[in-house]
Amino acid sequence: MNSIQRKIWTLAAAVLFVMATIWIALTYYNQKTQDQYNAILQRYLHMNEVTNASQQTIAALNNYLQTPTQANLQQVDSNKGRLRTARQEVMDLRNAENDFALASYMNLIDSLVETTDRSILFLSEKETEESTSAFSEATRISKYISEMTLTLLDTELKTYDRFYRGIIEQSTELKKFGIWMLLSITFLLLFFTYWFSKSITRPVLKLTQAAKELSRGRFDLQVEVTSNDEISFLAKMFERMRVNINNLIQEIQQKAQLENELQQNKLMLQESQLRSLQSQINPHFLFNTLDTLSKKAYLEGSEETSDLLANVAGLLRYNLKRLDRSVTLYDEVKVLRQYMEIQKARFTDRLHFHADINEWCLYVELPGMTLQPIVENAVIHAVEPLEDGGTIEFTIADNGERVRIEISDNGPGMPQSKIKEILEERAEQTEGHSTGIGFGNVVRRLRIFYGREDVIEIESAPELGTKVILLIPKARRSKKDDQTSDRG
Amino acid sequence: MSKAFSFVFGIVCVIMLTFTLISADKVFRAGPELPKTVDRKQAEYHLVLITQELETPFWDKVAKGAKEEADKRGSSVEVWGSYSKDQEDFLKKLEIAIDSKVDGIIVQGLDTPDFKELTKIKAAFYGIPILTVANDVPMADSLRRTYVGSDQFLAGQMIARQLLSDMGSSGTVVLMGDSREEYYQQQRVNGIMDVLKRYPDVKTEYAETIESREMIIAATQDVLNRQPDVNAFIAVNANIADAMVQEIGRRSQVAPYHIYSFDDSKDTMSLLKAGKLDGIIEQSPEEMGRLGVKLIIEWLRGDTVPLDTDGYLTEIRMLKATDAA
Repeated sequence: MNSIQRKIWTLAAAVLFVMATIWIALTYYNQKTQDQYNAILQRYLHMNEVTNASQQTIAALNNYLQTPTQANLQQVDSNKGRLRTARQEVMDLRNAENDFALASYMNLIDSLVETTDRSILFLSEKETEESTSAFSEATRISKYISEMTLTLLDTELKTYDRFYRGIIEQSTELKKFGIWMLLSITFLLLFFTYWFSKSITRPVLKLTQAAKELSRGRFDLQVEVTSNDEISFLAKMFERMRVNINNLIQEIQQKAQLENELQQNKLMLQESQLRSLQSQINPHFLFNTLDTLSKKAYLEGSEETSDLLANVAGLLRYNLKRLDRSVTLYDEVKVLRQYMEIQKARFTDRLHFHADINEWCLYVELPGMTLQPIVENAVIHAVEPLEDGGTIEFTIADNGERVRIEISDNGPGMPQSKIKEILEERAEQTEGHSTGIGFGNVVRRLRIFYGREDVIEIESAPELGTKVILLIPKARRSKKDDQTSDRG
Repeated sequence: MSKAFSFVFGIVCVIMLTFTLISADKVFRAGPELPKTVDRKQAEYHLVLITQELETPFWDKVAKGAKEEADKRGSSVEVWGSYSKDQEDFLKKLEIAIDSKVDGIIVQGLDTPDFKELTKIKAAFYGIPILTVANDVPMADSLRRTYVGSDQFLAGQMIARQLLSDMGSSGTVVLMGDSREEYYQQQRVNGIMDVLKRYPDVKTEYAETIESREMIIAATQDVLNRQPDVNAFIAVNANIADAMVQEIGRRSQVAPYHIYSFDDSKDTMSLLKAGKLDGIIEQSPEEMGRLGVKLIIEWLRGDTVPLDTDGYLTEIRMLKATDAA
């Protein structure tokens, strides 16, 4: 739910409630006080009314005695009525303090009425003397009533003295109360507002800080907001986002690292291999000696030996020169023929070599010393161990995008495990290889050179021989690869 | 900082609230209540005790006795009257009482025509019973129902006898009285004379004065000048005693004189205690009040009809300086 809204509503409701309570209390209090004041005033007014009515009655009576007309008589009667009403009202004012005085007071009023009546009666009977005397008595009684009123008021003041003082005290207290209430409500409101605003702004502040950290790129700080409103929800979402981003970044970093490592491995492998290859041959001395031997053999008339030695020297020179750079297929084929010459010299009739070469394909580039180790491998496994020898067929064919090079023998074949080992570049057997470069090395170099895996295939079946197929792309994939490979 | 701030703020709030609550309690606690309208049973009879000498010890006692008796009998009695024998005010109060139609009036008798007029004609006209108390006015003049109080004639006799026993049967006695010659005073003088006339060696001198300090002093001086060999004084009106004793004291020692008076004045008791009076007649004011109320209520109820017109006499005693000291 909208808990921030709810919080605001709660605060507003609380304030409203407090104000309403105060208003009701004060109104009630005010009403009560007002009622009291009214009651008190009523008492005084009632008593005063008696005095007034009695005086009016006397005045009317006087008028009537002077000029006894019906109108004046009515005047007297109406005043008497007023006096009686006043008497009724005064009766309600009875309390313990003025009980006796009030009883006398009412009797005085009765006496006044009676005396008035008597005066009028005497007048109607033409007894003027009596009438006048009754009138003077009525006047006296009226005076007594006035005095009694004062006495009663006095008593009233005495009786209510404590009460009046109480009212005054209470009104002073009320003033104090107002001040206290104002102060406490102010403070209370300040306190609650502070607390309330804090409960809203604190999470927001935390969230802001978390956002700041995130924007700076720190994804490892946990976003933690403890509140029970929307901000907390926002923070939770934020936290989830942070975790996700964090995970993504880590993934990317891992990948990058992995790739980097891979690249480096490859480079290192190349370098180390090339170095090791180079170090295996002591080139100058060896082929100089071989040249000398070849010349010597030629001079001695052993042309065959001389050729053989020349071939060996050529092979070695090639080996030395070409290992670290790309060569054309032409060069490779050339050195391959030299090698086969050497081997023919060795195996004579046991080795049959057939080559079928498409001359148009000889321009393609490939790493040096690629074909020789493969053919050598075939010689080692398919010719050397067999008494009858073997046949090695070498084919170069145009295969569209690629140049297809096939080297097949009719030897005992290669077990599948071995093929797998070679293709996965795990095998490193150099035993028996003249150049110290094994099959596995060739595969690796080929793949690195072309930057692709599918450059070599091996087909083999027991007793049917082995066929190694190289699929050399006609164009190198990129310049960069070239440079990289040239670097060694 | 925030926590400390909140804490202090909270404390302040609590203090404010406490004061507010205390204040609210004061304001809203019901203040003094308006006196309630009486719903108790109305007093059976409304009686008024009227005197000319309000707030004197003697009349306070009368009022006290009357009130006690009235309370006991479920009636109410109000004490009205005037101060220092203000007759005009006294008579007005009496008239108001009559016009107010109270059930009964107990009044200190005043031997004047106005008083008699009011009691005889007006009160009788309204049918309000009147009792005289302490000071009587004869039945024939006032139409009072009865009299409650001391037998003033007897009081006079008692004082005369005491005088004789103190002074011996010869000497000069000065009687000082109020010139208004009220009935009770006449009675006292009559009582004294009744005893003393049998002793030819006791010479009596009667001096009259208006009841005002200067006049009393003047009268005393006059008497002392005329009768240098006076032996005894009797202040027939107790209110004269103070000024008289003071004047005598100025002229000579008070001790050699035998001075007597009555107790119905605020001064005489203290003078007696100071040894300046040799004796006073002590009456029974509380009994007067009590008996007065009792009789009037009995009459109103019809228990005792008619009342003894001769009066109901209350006890009197001779109080001597030696007893009082």
